[in-house]
This record gives sequence, structure tokens and C-alpha cells, in this order.
Amino acid sequence: MQLPGTQVSVLEAASATDATSVTALADELGEKPETVVGAVFELADSGLLTVEERTEERVELTDEGETYVESGLPEVRLYRAAVEAGADDGAVSMGQVIGASGLEGGAVDIALANYARKGYGSIESGELTADPDADPDADGEATVLAALADGRVDAGDIEASVREQLVSRDLVTVPESTERLVTLTDEGVTALMEGVEESETVGQLTPELLTSGEWQDVEFTEYNVEADAETRYGGKKHILRQTADRVKDVLVGMGFQEMEGPHADAEFWINDCLFMPQDHPARTHWDQFALDVPPMQDLPAELVDRVEDAHRNGVGADGDGYHSPWTEDVARGVDLRGHTTSLSMRYLSGHAQGELEPPQRYFSVEKVYRNDTLDATHLLEFFQIEGWVMAEDLSVRDLMGTFTEFYEQFGITDLQFKPHYNPYTEPSFELFGEHPETGEIVEIGNSGIFREEVLRPLGVDCDVMAWGLALERLLMLTHGFEDIRDVHGTLVDLDFLRTEEVVH
Amino acid sequence: MPVVDVDPDALRRLTGHDEKDDEELKQDLFGLGLEFEGETEDGEFQLEFAPDRLDRLSVEGVARSLRYQYGDDRGVYVPNTNDADWTIEVDSSVPDERPFVTGAVVRDVNLDEAALDSLIQLQEKLHATMGRKRVKGAIGIHDLTMLKGRLASDERGNSIRYVGVEADEDRFVPLDSDRELTPGEVLTEHQTGREYADIVADYGRYPAIYDDIGLFSFPPVINGRRTEVSTDSRDLFVEMTGTDQWTIDKMLNVVCYALDARGATIEEVTVDYPDDPVYADESVERVDPGVDVVRPDLSTSEKHVAHDRIEGLLGVNLDPDEVVDLLERSGLDAVTDESDDGALRYRVAVPPYRVDVLHPLDLVDDVGRAYGFNELDPQYPEVGTVGGRHARSTLEDAVRDQLVGLGFTDLLNFHMTNEAENYERMRVDPDEHDCVGAGEPVTITEPYSEDYTMIRSWALPSLAMVLENNTHRSYPQDIAEVGFAAEYDADEDSYVAERQTVAGALARHDASYEDAKAVLQSLARDFDVELETPPTDHPSFIDGRTASVVLDGEDVGVVGELHPAVLVEHDLELPVVAFEFELEALR
Repeated sequence: MQLPGTQVSVLEAASATDATSVTALADELGEKPETVVGAVFELADSGLLTVEERTEERVELTDEGETYVESGLPEVRLYRAAVEAGADDGAVSMGQVIGASGLEGGAVDIALANYARKGYGSIESGELTADPDADPDADGEATVLAALADGRVDAGDIEASVREQLVSRDLVTVPESTERLVTLTDEGVTALMEGVEESETVGQLTPELLTSGEWQDVEFTEYNVEADAETRYGGKKHILRQTADRVKDVLVGMGFQEMEGPHADAEFWINDCLFMPQDHPARTHWDQFALDVPPMQDLPAELVDRVEDAHRNGVGADGDGYHSPWTEDVARGVDLRGHTTSLSMRYLSGHAQGELEPPQRYFSVEKVYRNDTLDATHLLEFFQIEGWVMAEDLSVRDLMGTFTEFYEQFGITDLQFKPHYNPYTEPSFELFGEHPETGEIVEIGNSGIFREEVLRPLGVDCDVMAWGLALERLLMLTHGFEDIRDVHGTLVDLDFLRTEEVVH
Repeated sequence: MPVVDVDPDALRRLTGHDEKDDEELKQDLFGLGLEFEGETEDGEFQLEFAPDRLDRLSVEGVARSLRYQYGDDRGVYVPNTNDADWTIEVDSSVPDERPFVTGAVVRDVNLDEAALDSLIQLQEKLHATMGRKRVKGAIGIHDLTMLKGRLASDERGNSIRYVGVEADEDRFVPLDSDRELTPGEVLTEHQTGREYADIVADYGRYPAIYDDIGLFSFPPVINGRRTEVSTDSRDLFVEMTGTDQWTIDKMLNVVCYALDARGATIEEVTVDYPDDPVYADESVERVDPGVDVVRPDLSTSEKHVAHDRIEGLLGVNLDPDEVVDLLERSGLDAVTDESDDGALRYRVAVPPYRVDVLHPLDLVDDVGRAYGFNELDPQYPEVGTVGGRHARSTLEDAVRDQLVGLGFTDLLNFHMTNEAENYERMRVDPDEHDCVGAGEPVTITEPYSEDYTMIRSWALPSLAMVLENNTHRSYPQDIAEVGFAAEYDADEDSYVAERQTVAGALARHDASYEDAKAVLQSLARDFDVELETPPTDHPSFIDGRTASVVLDGEDVGVVGELHPAVLVEHDLELPVVAFEFELEALR
């Protein structure tokens, strides 16, 4: 009979009378265990040997457990210190005993938590008594720990309740291991007696084998094709960038053109064009980042006049303005944009790329900056998805239809439109949708139809509807992230970026 | 957004709907756009809402809106007012920064503990919103019986005087104090005074209100103790001062409507302005001199809404009767009318407590809310447009794709940073050096956190921070970012030069200069530009292993082995090679 080399070795090393473990075989043969396992199963398939699986439990000390073998269990140390302080005779101040015991930090809590449980005494209103009859030398847990350290005890010999305690205290772990035991069958013995030869096998296919034609006469060493290979990380786009790409794909598919523009911009474009009164609470430095630079040098004078007029007097025959101060100085102040609607204003005014005639659809997925408190759902800078549609006549139903279509691409259905207030849109809606995983109703954006006070000064005579949403929010919804700080910024964990599922 | 505490029992009583349980009320409130946020210890609803309907800042206002929603009330309601007995005489000494005042007398109020709390809350919420933290408008409410009016100059009744005083000109006992203080002392010694001192800090004189006995109020800072309102008060004097007449008049209307809902009687007050008022803000709307100002002004205003506009914006067909009905259910009065060109429109009267109606569109929104926006069927707009990407963003994407193909983990870091990270930890001094990253910083005025004080002038410091935070992760760590950086530049309109930058770092046990250069060569090939790397110096890199990145003849960046001092500073224990250059150079 001819067999591959490893199988021959295994067959010769195995016994018909004593079961041999795979580990022992591997040691004996100087082969990797996975190689031997492969050979063993092949031989078992040929009926030359039998394989029996046995699961074994071991009990191993944790680092903390080993520490206590050296220093004693905290509660035992506490008891000894208590007896020393005379607590077996009457209550003694807890602080005094703890001081004397030398316990520190978390060990104190551990000692106190186990002291009464194990009958060393009682703790009441800051005082501690010790049971004179308790015997710390007979402490069951300590005994087992010591025995484990010396290797004097088998897993099966430890009393179940003590073991459970030690596991719950993280002092021992109980890893399971599966051992495979191999025994020669009668066929195996027969085969050996008749003689087994090693077949010629080849590890690596080489250029010589290929060119010489030798490959036709050789047998290839079998690999364990199920074993894990080395971990390999390829390059990968940032998960948030992947989400942005996906959003861009969807919007381009829906006929939207991408906008871009300055991050640092005049308040005129960021706020005044949006009909935000200059004394609006969101225009203080508590909400937006003002930059320490001189005022914007160039603003379009006629547009500035029209915007100021809208703020002061309103738009149209029945329009009223705000009763708020308005100065060009404030409008020229340079801020980091708090929303990318500043880009929409530049495009709608014709200053970004010339006058636009309806119909138009535009979008951007760009950074915005808000002076907010950093927490699990808020960042100082995040990506805003911004989109708008310009057409002769738009209705609230068109707005609803557009957003329904957009969010469906991300698995968010059953949109609800809650009437809302923004200074720059009317009507305005907060968008709510059903979370694709949890089914919760969550806020997913803010939308509306731009006010005439916004559009007319920009020279737009038709309707424009717009909406905005944080890209991070969409990512958190679709990926179930809890803390956005783990994703965006320099605190990111490279392994998270390397291993996170890709967006598609 | 404002949050108002509202007692559900008071809401049931004021709406006359005792049968509504808490859950039903919450539903109905949501319909108004008032979101239930939680409950106070006393079981009051905490309601959050958008700051347009400031008339709903109290339980009385919320109840009024609910009654319209339930259909219990229709159309505009205006309380009756009695003729004025009291006058506020405005002296020419009044600070020209705060020239406006308004007021009303309110009689026969029944102020139990809850009603008084509600009134105080309304006052605070109006201060926080329309009053812009009392800067624009501040409310003072006084016990009328404690005021002794002077005979008005026209001898028609009682008067109080709004004047300007010097810091130490007079003394009074402010609320929450038991001794007399001058206005100047209030600002330094009284807690409330210190809180609002900034508002009057630059005023030439301090605002003060006098009756025949003396000084009793120091607006917008604090009232005197003499006229403090309690549950025993029956008649009230409400005064408001501010920087804009319209604003304080509207705030007054909201307060008067709330007290009217509690069964009080509103009595007018005459405001007698000097003939030649001086305003610090010359652009503010002036009050006609010589005309008696009678307040509160509870007149309605009128707007015209085109029928076509309503149908067009809502996307549904409506009967005129239905539109009138929807407007009335929103607390408005409406009659049909024709515009000059014969088109159907509505003449709508808007009640005096509404501050959010600037344009007929705001009334279309009211119609939509009454109709129920969620009743509308979504439709995809039938307009054809062609989608596309911006050239810069497609270039960014292409570079990112190539870097990922070369094995880089793509990063996304914050654009805001601080001087220590951006310069010092990279051994760069913007005053001394002239190299990549050494641009003058664009700093943030009054930064909130010392970690974020400027916009980064280059991206490599962010990459170094990521390496620093990931020393426990397996190597090699090849990371890259295509991102944003900016520096101060007087040639720019905004004084901020913004650019997109490409940065990469390879942290490997055997990293050397060629590893970084190989990446640049690959990118240069991919984007068909010519790469040269003449030697250069850069404080972040090792001398002799640093080069300028020259693409198509233009110096656009730097490449090299990071300086050991930079590595040690970032707790890195292996070599790192890195590069950074301008994205535009690949175009």
C-alpha cells in the first residue's frame, strides 16, 4: 500500500492497544498538530484507524488568582488583621483594620464583599467584628488556589461550589480543550504487517516541475485547506467616507449635481442670506466658530442691499421684516460654516457658477462646524448631507416624495413629516423614520421649502425645497454605532477601520 | 429649543377637557409640534417646541392653541380693554440705548401659587427668546397697590416715569435684598445685578422707573422689593423696556393674553414719549413724536393669501369654504377676496399675539397644519435633471482609491486642532520656519476647548496622532488621508487660504525613505505627472533623508523619514516615513 509520508508516519506511530492523542503523535513525529490531524482523518476515512474525541476541562489560575496565592486572599488578610486588632473580642473601626491589613484600592472592596459571606465576621455601620471560631487556614477557596498553583489538584476534584465562586471572582478560568485519541483498527494492523510505503509527494509546484513535465508523475502534498491563514489587512476606505460615497451615488442617480465651496465664509452667506436675524440666538459664538481674521473683503454689494432690505422690510406687498438690528459689519464677519446651506446660497445666487434656470437639483456632503458639547452623538465638526431641488412649482408632496425615495435607498421607510420651524424655510418639517434594525422612530433630517425672503433677494423667482441631515447620523442608523467619537477623528482605532464591514 | 413646564391639570381645566388623560394630551400636544420631553418632580409636562409660536410659552397659550385644534374655538379672539388711567412718562434723560417702554394695567387677577408660577415662567421664557436674554426686551411686573402715581402732566390720571439715572444717583431696595443699594451697587453686589451687568455696562445712564414715592425698578436688571408680586396681589402693573418698540409690544400682548385667560381685566396704559427722542441705533423704527402711544396694542394685522398658492404649495385641491374653515381653526379670521387681476384670495386677520407671521406663506403653513401634512400623499417631482460630481471631489476620490490600492488605511480626521499638535509636537515653529505645515494659523475666536483652537495648517500631525493612539495595534500601519487644511493669507477674500492635501505615513519596523518615495512614484505615474524629489530641510524630518515633492516642476510638498524627536514625542518605537502634498498638483 502507498500512502503520503505523514500518513505513513502516523500509522506507524499509532498503537492498536493504547489510544494515543494527536498532540502526543505530533510531538513524537515533530509535525504541526494540524498536519497530523489532517493525516489522521484521511486514515480514519480509509478505515485504518479510529478517532475518538474527548473534551477535557482544566482549571487555571488567573493573574489575580496567582497574586492571592502569594499574598493571601484579601478577606483572609482582613480577618487576620481584624483578629490582630481584637475584633474577635468586640467591634473595631473598619478603617483601623483596613489600615492594618495593608489592603489597598480595589482589594478593600473585594475583602469587604467576601468577609461576611465566608463567615469571618460581620460588618455593620463602619465597624467590624471577627468570628473567633473562623479558621483562615481552612479557607476552602485559598486551599484550592494553593493546590492549583502546586499542580496538586485535578479539575474534577474541586468541589463544585468552590469552583463556581472562584470563577465568579475571576480567580480561575476553566478552559475546555478537545483531545482526539487515535487507535489502529484491524485493517490498520493488517496494512502495516503487509507493508506500507511512502508515496512520492511534492510540496511546492516549481517552474522546473512545470517545464520538465515531471508534474505528471508526482502527487501533491495535501494541505489542511480549512486552517486559518495569516491575518492580512488590505487598504480600506474610511467607513464614513464609504457612507459618503454611497450617499453621493444615490443622489447623482436621482439627478443631483454636486456643490462645493469655502469652509471659512462670511456670515452673510452662512446666515444673512438664510434670513437668520442678526440677533438670532444661534448666531452667537456659543453656537458657531468665529475666526480671528479681518472681515470678508468682497461681498456682492447689490445682493447685500437686497438681503438687508428683506431683513428690515420683508418681501412682497404683505411682507414684514424682522425687528432686529442689521449691519454689514456683522455680515462680513468670517466663520467656519455651521451648515453647508452657505453653499446652496452661493449657488442659488449665481455667484458659484452663474445664474441657474429651473429645474435644478444640487447636493453636497461636506464638513460643517458647530460649537457644541462633544458627546456620543455630537461632534464639533461633522458631515452634512445637503440637497435642494429648484423648480417652477413645488409642493410639500414633491418634498415628501423626494425624501421618501432617498431614505428608502438606506432601508429607512415609513417617513413621518413633523411640522417644524426654521427661520429660512416655510413650511418646514422634521423628518422621522423607522430605524432599520430596532424599529424605533428616530429623527433623520430637517427640511422645508425656502422662504421667499431667502429666494427673492438671491434673484430666484421659482420654488426651492431643501433638506439637511448629518452623515454621521445616517451611518449610526445604518450601522448601529453607539458613540460617534469612535468613528470620526484621531481617536479612531485602526483595528476598527481595518475590520469594519464595508458599505455597499 | 425652549422647554416649557406645563401642568396637565391646568391644561385640562383651561381647555375644558377634563376627560383627556395624560397620554391623549401628549398626542394632541405633539400635533401642535410640542414634544413631550419628560416630567418635572411635580408631575408637570416638560414640552419642547420650536421657537416660532412664542404665544405658547405658557400653559394659557398652549391651552388656547389646543382649543383651536379641538374645534372648541374658531377665529380671532381679542380681549376687551378698559380705558387708560395710568401713563408712563418717558423723560428725555432716558438712556438712548434703551429708549422704548410699554405697559398695561391688569386688574382682578386671581393669582394662586400655580398661576403665579406660570406667570413667572412665561416672563423668563419671553426673556430667553424674544427678549434676547433681556437685551432686547425686559419685563417688570409690579403690585399696582404698592405704586403711588403722580398726577400725570396732562392731569388726566396717575403716572410713573421712565428716566435715566447716574450709577450713584439714587437708592432702592431690590428684590432678594434687605438693604438699599444704588444701581451701581446692584451691578457689583447683587447676584442678579452681576448676572445682567453686561447689558447696561456701556449705557451712558442707567434705566430707572419712578413713582411718586421714588425709584422702584431698575430695568432690565431687577425690580424693587416694594412692588413685588405675590399670591395676594389683585391688580398688576406690567411694564417692559427695550431696544425695539415692536418687540416689547408683542411680548406685552403675549402676557396680556395669558392673564386674560386667567379671568383678569386688561386696562390700557398711555406712553408719553418726549418730543425729540434720541436713539443710539439710528436704524431702529421710530415712534411718531407727539402721538399718544396707547398700549397694549391688540389690533389685528392683515395679510392676503392667494388660493393658487395654497393649492400649489400643498399639492391638493381645496374649496374656498374649506380654506376659510382651516384658517379659522388656526385662530385666524378669513374672508374670500379678489386680487387686482381677479384671482381668488383670502383676506386674513392675524391676532396680536402672533409674532411668527411675516409673510402670507406663514399662513399657508397654518392651513397645512390644520389640514394635516401627514394626510398628503408623497409624489416624486416630475422634473428631469442630470446628476454629476464636482471635479474636485472626483479627483479626491481617485487619489483615495489609488492609496487604498497601495494598502493604505484611509483616515478621516478633524480639521480643528491646537498649536501644540499642529506645530510644537512636530518641531515646527510658524514664526521661524518656511516649510510645509508652517503656515500662519487661522485661529478660532473664543475657543470653547483648548484642544480645538485653530484649523490645521497640514494633515501630517493628525496622522501622527492616529499612530500615537494605536501603538497597541499590529504593524505595519500604513495610513493616509486626503483632506482639508488652511492657513492665514491676506491675499484671500476671507483671509483664509483653503486647500485639499494628500498625506500618508508608513509605520514599519523596516520603514525607509524609499517606501514613501515608491508611493509617490506610483501616484505620479497614475496621474501622469512628473515627480522630482530634490533634497530639502524640514524640522519634522531627518536631515539628509528629506526631499521636496516637486510635481510637474512645482514644489507642492515634502517627503522623508520622520525625525526621532517627533517619533519619541508621539510614543512611537519604530521608524515612520511620511509625505504630504497638495491634491491639486495631481490634476
